[in-house]
Amino acid sequence: MLVLLAFLAPLFAPVPSDAQQSDHEPYLQQLIDRAEEAKLAGQREWHLLLHYRKGLFGGYESEQDDPGFFLSPNGKTDPAAELNATLAKFFSDELVGSTRQPAQCAFIARYHWLKERLNFDATRLPPLACERFHRWYEDFEVQSVSLIFPSAFLNNPASMFGHTLFRVDQKGQTEQTRILAYTINYAAQVPPDAGIAFPVKGIFGIYKGYFSTIPYYLKVMEYRDIENRDIWEYRLNLTENQLRRFLMHAWELGNAYFDYFFFKENCSYHLMALLDYADPDLRLTDEFVLWTVPADTIRLITSKPGLVSDIAYRPSRSTVIKRKRESLPAAERDLAHRITQDPSAVSSPAFTELEFPRQAFLLDLASDYMRYRIETTDPPKPEWKARNKAILAARSQLRIPSEEFTVRPFAQRPELGHKTSRVSVGGGWRNNDTFEEASVRAGYHDLLDPEIGYTPGAQIEMASITIRHYNRAAQTRVERATLLNLLSLSPIDSVFHAPSWKVNIGMNTIRYNECQLCSNGLFNAGIGGAKEFRLLKREILFAFAEAEADVSKAYDEMYRVGGGGTVGMLVDLTERWKVMATGTYLKFPLGDKSDDFRWFVGTRFTLARNWTVRLEYNHRDYDNDVLFSVQAFF
Amino acid sequence: MSKKALILAVAVLFGAQAGPALAANPDTGPGCGLGKLAWEDYKGQKEILPQVLMVTTNGTGMNTFAISSGTSGCTNDGKILGEHRTTVFASLNFDALTAEMAQGQGEHLASLATLMGVPAERHAAFFAMTQERYTSLVQAGEVSPVAFVKSLNEAIVGHPVLAQASVR
Repeated sequence: MLVLLAFLAPLFAPVPSDAQQSDHEPYLQQLIDRAEEAKLAGQREWHLLLHYRKGLFGGYESEQDDPGFFLSPNGKTDPAAELNATLAKFFSDELVGSTRQPAQCAFIARYHWLKERLNFDATRLPPLACERFHRWYEDFEVQSVSLIFPSAFLNNPASMFGHTLFRVDQKGQTEQTRILAYTINYAAQVPPDAGIAFPVKGIFGIYKGYFSTIPYYLKVMEYRDIENRDIWEYRLNLTENQLRRFLMHAWELGNAYFDYFFFKENCSYHLMALLDYADPDLRLTDEFVLWTVPADTIRLITSKPGLVSDIAYRPSRSTVIKRKRESLPAAERDLAHRITQDPSAVSSPAFTELEFPRQAFLLDLASDYMRYRIETTDPPKPEWKARNKAILAARSQLRIPSEEFTVRPFAQRPELGHKTSRVSVGGGWRNNDTFEEASVRAGYHDLLDPEIGYTPGAQIEMASITIRHYNRAAQTRVERATLLNLLSLSPIDSVFHAPSWKVNIGMNTIRYNECQLCSNGLFNAGIGGAKEFRLLKREILFAFAEAEADVSKAYDEMYRVGGGGTVGMLVDLTERWKVMATGTYLKFPLGDKSDDFRWFVGTRFTLARNWTVRLEYNHRDYDNDVLFSVQAFF
Repeated sequence: MSKKALILAVAVLFGAQAGPALAANPDTGPGCGLGKLAWEDYKGQKEILPQVLMVTTNGTGMNTFAISSGTSGCTNDGKILGEHRTTVFASLNFDALTAEMAQGQGEHLASLATLMGVPAERHAAFFAMTQERYTSLVQAGEVSPVAFVKSLNEAIVGHPVLAQASVR
């Protein structure tokens, strides 16, 4: 209570006027001297407030890119000058920054920290009321903060690795009303017509990133209903004082923008910076040097003892539909499907003979189907809306509330998955030679990697390179390199029929014509479908139509372009053991006219969460390759 | 509601406004657009590269909910003005609310009841009431979110159990 009073005290304080502006000089000088004596500008807390990072060649630079965030012209690189300028501005009620507030209010976290350190004398440096901040702060009714993780969504390049945001949980909030809470979300401001330029601009920091407080119900609508992504919610254990610091600093960040870098300074990175200020002992941002993957931040948060108090799961609509269907006998599943085709099926004896709770369950499932179709199709067919209306009208006639239905996720919690980067060593035979090889992959996950904690059927490989030494040929070469290899398998059934697709950009080593080992640059993209079976444990069969362009000195005219198809299967034999087999035929009518038959069989066995072994066989025309390797994730 | 429709709904509702406003006083004048907003089919082309990051980034919600952005439409420094919270919630979640009223329960309905001051122990009665009056409530909602909240309020006032509890 005392803390709260101290916090609210400025509300009732006098406001400085310009008349006092000139007689504050001696006190300001005194504060500056005391700050220098205490070396405040060198303290970690000041660096967290201003987002200073040590430069490569000594010195400091702030990650903040908005000039309005600094009160000194040299603030971006000079912590001491910024501190002195901040102290000077605290004596003025001039409106600063993009949000036009007095410095004490615009930079309220800085003000409170300096006030504590230097024991401001309220008569010589009168505190301002900052009503705007207090109204904003009170409106949160903050009780705690949760870190929210919507899982990966391959059909949106920015969401490939998932996303993270904070939810500010309210006092008195229940499981039923948590959608009313506000979130604190950091995202790039992207014009609606960004299109193809988006990934490039997102990677190179062309967009500006801002903090915003979007109501959680809008985020739930976006992830759960429209994009069909499961959401994980991690409630954090922060003290009352840490929560206040957290919100004060969030308010300061509302003043400014960071240049948004998709790989490192992204949504997750700046959330970690905010938590670092809330509790400087956490030291979260120091862990991310080259890139920040949202799942890694979740792994880090959950590894801190006592930081996470509770984990909740919120299934996407497609997960709900799949789990509900699994729970039904085939006849009732068909009945629910029939109702979506023709709602008048509710008057058929097959339906009316069922118990009321069962009828309610089938109608709810039918309505879930319709809403899924309506929300994932643009524009939706008008008759779907009419059918959904008829289904809901019939449902309202039953006069019983729907029973709770507990949904188990298909993907386990992200922090239980293997780590992001991978290194592997191996050896084998190619044609009549033997080799040893070493690979490193920056991220993230391929179809044969252990699937625990990852979105099933989603492959995202970025920046990997393999160096191989051939013993008889006595040469060491870059065997393979991948810039980007994406593959999305979406099993098709009576409800879900999103296409599967793949894109691969990289290079490999081929044997072609007279060339035994030649580097070959390749671009391959395809679209297709997948079907899931559960004969053994879980099998996915898939087929793609694809186009490929190859560039190598082994070809006549240096290149070939063509198309064809791939069929394959991905089989879980046990929890730890997975097999993949594919066959590809491609015909190249452009450039070097040729065709290509390829076979691949690979199997992976999991030794531990971050340790696996693989045996792989690759066949191309007159070219066979067997590889045994060990992978470690780090 | 597709993503595009949601973006449009947010834009219509909050009156897209570029750049942070300078005023620090709540301004509930034009720009909140609640009375006029009705649900209709927004025609939009299918996006090939789906829009990025978040639905509400697209120039509308970003400013609407930006922290310390001043006043814009129905928000003040990114917070929905108290007097509009119920109507804004009802209008943006109308599809979910419709389904949950028919189903006699759900988190959107519980949240709406909370916003309308129905205490937790009477939520079950509130849910049953909305299921019973489903048809007329949905009809009101198709007119406008304001009309929807108004008929809900009238239903609460006329309800033997809920009337005693309602604070509004």
